[in-house]
Formats: sequence, C-alpha cells, structure tokens
Amino acid sequence: MRMSKRCSRAIIIILAVVGMLGNCGVALANDLPYDTYNYNFYEYIVYTPAAYVPAGSISGTRLVYNGEPLGAFKNPQDICKTPDGEVVIADTGNNRIVFLSKDMKTVIKVISEFENNGEADKFSSPTGVCVSKKNELYIADTYNNRIVVLDNNGSLIKIIRDPQSEILEEGYVFSPLKVTVDYADRVYCIAQNMFEGIMVFEDNGQFVGFIGTIEVKISLWDKFWKRIATKEERSNQKLFIPTEFTGIDIDDDGFVYASNIDEDGTQAVRRLNPKGEDVIKKGANKNLGGDLWTSGYTRYSGPSQITDVVYRQKGMYSLLDRRRGRIFTYDHEGNLLYIFGGLGTQAGTFVTPVAIENIGNTIIVLDAYRAEILIFTETMYGSLINQAVALRYDGDETKAVELWEKVLELDENNELAYVGIGKAYLTAGDYVNAMKYLKRGMSSEFYSIAFRRYRNKVLKENMSYILTGLIVAVFALVIGVSIYRRKKGIVREEGLLNE
Amino acid sequence: MSKYFSKEKLKYVFYTMSHPVDGYYWIRHIDKGSVPIAVILVMLFSFSFTLNRLKASFVVNELDPRTVDSLTELGGVLLLYILLCISNWSVTCLMQGEGRLKDIAIAIGYAMLPLIISFNLATLVSQFIADGEEAFYYLILGVGIAYGFIMMLIGIMQVHNYTLAKTLITLFLTLLAAFIIIFIGLLIVDLVTKVYNFFESLYIEIVFRM
Repeated sequence: MRMSKRCSRAIIIILAVVGMLGNCGVALANDLPYDTYNYNFYEYIVYTPAAYVPAGSISGTRLVYNGEPLGAFKNPQDICKTPDGEVVIADTGNNRIVFLSKDMKTVIKVISEFENNGEADKFSSPTGVCVSKKNELYIADTYNNRIVVLDNNGSLIKIIRDPQSEILEEGYVFSPLKVTVDYADRVYCIAQNMFEGIMVFEDNGQFVGFIGTIEVKISLWDKFWKRIATKEERSNQKLFIPTEFTGIDIDDDGFVYASNIDEDGTQAVRRLNPKGEDVIKKGANKNLGGDLWTSGYTRYSGPSQITDVVYRQKGMYSLLDRRRGRIFTYDHEGNLLYIFGGLGTQAGTFVTPVAIENIGNTIIVLDAYRAEILIFTETMYGSLINQAVALRYDGDETKAVELWEKVLELDENNELAYVGIGKAYLTAGDYVNAMKYLKRGMSSEFYSIAFRRYRNKVLKENMSYILTGLIVAVFALVIGVSIYRRKKGIVREEGLLNE
Repeated sequence: MSKYFSKEKLKYVFYTMSHPVDGYYWIRHIDKGSVPIAVILVMLFSFSFTLNRLKASFVVNELDPRTVDSLTELGGVLLLYILLCISNWSVTCLMQGEGRLKDIAIAIGYAMLPLIISFNLATLVSQFIADGEEAFYYLILGVGIAYGFIMMLIGIMQVHNYTLAKTLITLFLTLLAAFIIIFIGLLIVDLVTKVYNFFESLYIEIVFRM
C-alpha cells in the first residue's frame, strides 16, 4: 500500500515534468492577450491552443517613402493584396492608397492623385480597394461617388459612376464603400444606403443589377402590431429594411463571399454564385454567425458583428467580428475551425477592426482607430489544421490522417480531427476503429455508416450460430414451459383472482 | 413489512399492468396494492428517465451529459407525483370520488411500470441503431408513454368508480388544482421570506442601535 502510494507520486511528478517539457512548442493560452476557443458538438466552449499568435503591427509613422516619413494612417478602412502578395491600404482619412511590400516593412508606392483628361484628380475618402488578377487597382472613391480603375503604373483606365437603371430610384446618389473584381473584370460593389444587395457592373462600367439580396424577416408579432397601428404611429416606427453588406471578397472561381451584420447571429456570411444565389454550406449546428454564446447586457454581449470576410484557400474563409474582436475561420463545409482575437489596448488586440486579409501564412487585420495593421502568424496547431482541411478539400482524406493525429496531440478535444481520422478508418474498412473515432467526433452521420457496415459484417459472419441458437432457444422454452406446468399441475392459466 | 412488500404484492404490479381494469378495482376494494411499492416505482421511473438521457446513444440523444442531474430529476419527479396525487385527491373529494389518497398514489405509481420498461428498453435498443432507424427507438418510447397514460386513466377511473368522461373532466380539473397549489405555494414562500426579512432587518436595526 505504502509502496504503491510512493510509486504513484513518482509517476505524477514524472508526468508533470513531461507535461511541462511537452508544452514548449505550444503557445499557452495565458501568454496571449485573447482567448482561443471553439464550440463543441454540445455548443459548449472548449478552450484550444492558439491557431494564430500576434506578431507585431505596422503603423504609418514608422514607414519611410522616398526618403521622407510616410506619416500615420488616418482612419484607414480597407486592405487587400495584389496577385504578387503586396499589401494595399486604403488610407481613407489621408485620401491616398498605400502599397506595402510583402513583409510590410517598405513602402512601394503611394497613389494620392491620378491624371484624368489631362488634369490632376484626387480621391475623396477612398473606403475600399481591390486589385484584380490583371493587377488593376479598383478604388471605391466614396465622396466622389465613383469607382476609379487604375493600371499598374497609376494611370487611369476607366471611371465607374452614375449607374443608370430602371430599378434604381430617381436621384439615387452612388456612394461605393467596398469593391471586388472577378476574373472577367465584373465589379461587385457594396454601396451606402443600398439595401437591395450587391451592385454588379460589367467590365465596361455598365450597371447590370443586384445580387444576394438579404430577405427581411418580419415576425407575426410585428405584423400584428403593424396592423393595429394608425398611419401616424406606423410612420414613427422603425422601418423593416434588410441589413447592408459589410465586407466582400471573391474566390478563384468567381464566387462572391459577402459578410453582413445579422441580428440573430445565425448567418453573417453568404457565398453567392454568379446568378446571385447563396450557396454557402452550413455546418452541423447550422450557424455561420460567429459566437454562439452571446447573452448578457454589456457592450461585449450580443451576436457577433461581422465587418469583413476574407476567402483564404481551399474553401476556407475567415470572418472578422467587431463586437468582440474575434476572428472566426470556417471550412468549406461550414465547420468552425478555430477562433482567436479580442478587443483591448494590449499589443495584438483591436479597438475598431475594419478589414481582414490573408497573406501567405499570416492573417493581417486593419484597425481604423489604432491606424495600424496587426499581424498574426500561424502556429503549429493552426498550420496543421489548415493543411489537413486543405487535404480534405482536395479529397485526400487518408493523407490528412497523419496531420489530424498531430492535431490531437495538441488538442485532444478537436472533434474535426476525430472525424477526419474516423472517416479514413471507414474508407480503409476498419469499422471498429472508425466507430470509436467517429463517436468521439460526435459525427452521427458517419458513425451510423460505420456502425451499419459493422453490424452487417457481424451478422453475416455469425448467421449460422444465431439461427441455430434461436431454434434451440425456442425448443427449450416450449419444453421447459410444458415441464413446469406438468409439475405444478396447471392446466390452463386463469385470472389471479378467480380462486 | 410483509404488509407492503410480500411476493404477492410485487407480482400484483405486473398483474395490474396486464389487467388494468381488474387490477385497479381490487386495489381499491381489497387492498391489493402497496404505497411504498408505488413510490419505489416512481423513483425507478425517475432513474430510468435519467439513465435514458445520459446513456442513450448519441444518434438519438443530443443532450449534453453535463446538464443531466439524477438527484434534481428525482426531486422533480417526486414533487410532481405528490402534486398530482394531492390535487387529484382534492378535486375528486368534491366530485363523489370513492378513492382514498392511498389509492390515488397507487394508481399513479403503478402506471409508471410501462414507462420504466419502455425507457430502459429504448436506452438498450438505442445502442444498436444507426442513423435513419430512430423510428424504432421513438416507437418504443411512444408506446410506453401511451400505455402509462392509459393505465393512469383507467386507474383513476377505477379507484373513484367514475365514467370515462368524468375521469377526463377531473383530470383537467386536477391540472387546474395543481396550478392553484403551485400558485399558493409560491405565495406562501414569498410571504414567509418577506416576514423573515422584516424580522432580520429589525434585528439588524436593534443590534446597530445598542
């Protein structure tokens, strides 16, 4: 007894030491200025290792352009990347566009004016930027009510303004906020006070229509009140208008990812096909709205307010929340992969996050109030998940198993990893292991497939024994009952009370 | 002890299940039933219910096990049982019901047997079903609950010597009575707290002034 106690104590100490050593490679949550967590099958918060960690920030004051200091950014509103990986910032308050190199240490160029019909023209609050695959720069020049398109050298290609259409109201003022461009040079634009959806322009600047209109939900209760209200009361009530889109991005196939602020917190992002239909896939919990735990009455409670979306690679996309400063990353099936980020004044936290972009293995976020770009680099945990999800997107689930196993070493609560491994076992025909892993991953769908095949296999292999056993049992029962009755002298069973 | 737990009385629970009309009739008239057995059955039902919520396969069960607490559920079920018995008794007293409180307690308690069986059977069956076969699981549960409800109905009908229509009316009134009891209970709790708070503040006042 004594011995075993001492033994167990030694084991505990050894385990503790090993645990400390083992932690070296993993960023501990308490080193970070924010929580990193995810939601499990029960929609319960599970803390995870960090997928991304802060790696400094870039502010305009430290940058030099042509031997002179660039000067601080002023209320910058958008960032995007060029096909070469350079970072473009819409420095809205300074009315200029700044190009930074890939590592964001040096300024490549600054565009604050361009030649328009022989005259110098300037921007007025450029709120959105985008660079097409042909290296053409699209600028949403908000207060000049136009979209300016410049080529690689900063000379004007075209200006999109004054959209003409029957579906637009008379006297509509076009104030573009965010733009994006697809491979055919079609321009998708989010405009101020435009609730019908995203405005689409052809490559010649012709306005063709809207895509992705968000339908307004009116509850029966609201309808009831509307009905009994007088005309005067009705005009004082708030209007039922759809929410506006907040951010926009495009994937390689020309599908538009658009984020919006959803008051229910259920769907804050849409994936629009060229016809304008939402084709996004929702995960097991049918939620694409960021945080699931949103109750409370403080400024930090309430559904996530998604301000921007970035399409990353292999069907993955990240959403930026301005309510709690979180970044949510989903895969193409709508599973929440990891969450990181937070509000605050420490290094690595946001005050007013406005835009998000993905450069290589870093995620960069633009903070309008701090006028800084915050950089987050991938950890081992994040990189493993990214690679595994990419492999799964390509259909290489068996190759992904190794990566998922490493993920489990870092985070043994990762349900996606269990499902990934379980599916690989399922394809390999090892149903027992598949069931074990799929059960841990709480994937009822794939667990059932494994279980059904396993059940069939067991039944098929033991069919002769089962049938023989059944016949023997039936005979034994019949004979047993008749012997029992003869012994007790029961002829026919009567009611218990008919004595 | 043998008065409550004889072999005959235990067997009689099963007899009541298979012959509810006769069974409940003799419970009323020649004391075939036993209140302790009825209470134990209610407790067993509570445990089966908890077990089902905890251990049913995750194909049919999306509950977080952390939200299931057997003791809370036992308390809840027992409270509901007592509430039902008392409210039914208080209603039937005024409506020429022949049953005593004891008979009502047995009638409701014995009706738990099909529920106990079906809940445990369903929990067992759930281990062997896959996606798309949930119907079997819900069928077992549904049949058990329906049988339990019918047994309770017949039980109350028999112990009070009522017609079916009158039983249904009294059941409706029983629910009403239960709500009234809950309302009065809350009222009393609130009142007692207020009185307690009054004396407490009085005490604090006196202590501070001394």
